[in-house]
Amino acid sequence: MMRLAATYAAFSRVAIARAGRERGDLYGRIVFFAIILGVFSSLWRAAAEGGLPTATEPRALVWYLAVTEWIVLSTPPIHLEIQEAIRAGDVVYRLGRPVSYVGAELAGTFGVLAVRLPLLGLTAFLCAFAFTGWIPPARAFAVVVPFGVAAAALLAALHVWIGLLAFWLHDVSPVYWVCQKLMFVLGGLMLPLEVYPAVIQRIAWLTPFPALLAGPASVMLAGGGATPAALARDLAFWGGVTAAGLGWTFRRVARNVTINGG
Amino acid sequence: MTGSNRMAFARALVATNLKATLALRGAFVLQVAFMALNNVTFFVFWWVLMRRVTTLRGWQLADVQLLFGLVAVSFGLTVTIAGGVRHLGRLIEDGDLDTLLTQPRPVLVYALGMRSQPSGAGDLLSGLVFIATSGEVAWRTLPLLVVALVAGALVFLACGIAFFSLAFWLGNVETMARQLWDLLITFSLYPEPLFGGVLRLALFTVLPAGFVGYLPVRVIQAPSVPAVCLLVLGACTYLGLAVFMFERGLRRYASGSRFSTFG
Repeated sequence: MMRLAATYAAFSRVAIARAGRERGDLYGRIVFFAIILGVFSSLWRAAAEGGLPTATEPRALVWYLAVTEWIVLSTPPIHLEIQEAIRAGDVVYRLGRPVSYVGAELAGTFGVLAVRLPLLGLTAFLCAFAFTGWIPPARAFAVVVPFGVAAAALLAALHVWIGLLAFWLHDVSPVYWVCQKLMFVLGGLMLPLEVYPAVIQRIAWLTPFPALLAGPASVMLAGGGATPAALARDLAFWGGVTAAGLGWTFRRVARNVTINGG
Repeated sequence: MTGSNRMAFARALVATNLKATLALRGAFVLQVAFMALNNVTFFVFWWVLMRRVTTLRGWQLADVQLLFGLVAVSFGLTVTIAGGVRHLGRLIEDGDLDTLLTQPRPVLVYALGMRSQPSGAGDLLSGLVFIATSGEVAWRTLPLLVVALVAGALVFLACGIAFFSLAFWLGNVETMARQLWDLLITFSLYPEPLFGGVLRLALFTVLPAGFVGYLPVRVIQAPSVPAVCLLVLGACTYLGLAVFMFERGLRRYASGSRFSTFG
């Protein structure tokens, strides 16, 4: 067991080293993050002037966005790498390793998260503070940080699952786009779900997207949002569903892989 | 090469690319549909927000809708007709301009027109629907709408050429250039009054989102000769500067000594 854990840890270490070298992408994400928060802090101020009738203050909405974007921007587009490996045929030698293919991909993705989450988290904190001049209570961070990390890990697993679909679909971009759009609306990426019409809210809670974004981020809003127990329950449930989906999908695709050439 | 020959060549390139794109009908329809869906989904945010706040520093939902439509159509025009702009940096960096330099055709026109982005048609389609349903365009303002869309597309193109041409001086700028272009799109999709001071100045100079979104909206909502002149002049200036930058960069271009088939 320990040996297996050490093997996957090695995949994570390789990914950490790679993520550390590819700084351009990370810096780009940091700049984009800062600009988006700046634009939205201005937007929420304007919305407040226009009489945004929610119980939430504009500054809390900026922190809400800082959390949702932190989770989204930290998660690497692993589905593209898996898709390219399948297209180029590289997947063949990865499948032959004496470790789980899905496990290795997940370990690598978690390695990238280990680099991005702290740096983008710091960016989120500094920018949100700079734009609002306010820091939410410490207990909000005590909830947001662990559940945000768990949500990012679950989102990464979802990306791995989308990548696996490339065995059947060849191009998984449409699936990813749909997922991204659903996350935007049903996940409450930019606006808390409470602001959406009731029907959208009801549909949203039947999907994993609120657990990924709106759940952890709502802790930043007035009233505290979801309780830690509810967040843990939702993330555990959707984590189980994703794990089952990953296992089932991989077993199906691995059974039908045809390898040509040498 | 004369101006009319250049135009004929550009037309032939665009026609060939569109035919190639349409040949893969299933993929084309899928990309168009998903891009349109993408734009509509993003607009849901504004629809939800403006149900709660009727006016945002003077901007109403119809104004945002018009802005969205203008930016989407301009961007769609750019990537459909001159989709090669997104690959310009890689062409320069990888030495792939070699194959273009040996052709008796203008290099920039060739590089820009050698690709077409199918998703651009989705932007065009959704953008036109946004504009048509905004209720802000009357028959008499249609000519102005065309001017605004073409000017916006030219500014998008000019920025693409300028950002990706940085590869002549800086080498691998793919990520940076794409992010700059994305920033231009991001800023052009938010109402102008949200930005003030130095940022607003930047949005009409170094990152000209003002010439892609805000000024075209103004030209359609409150047409005036100075505004139209400023828009046209701005678009021509940006394009002129971008072409100048590319031509200067081309002098520094180091061949990749590439031997490959092309066409």
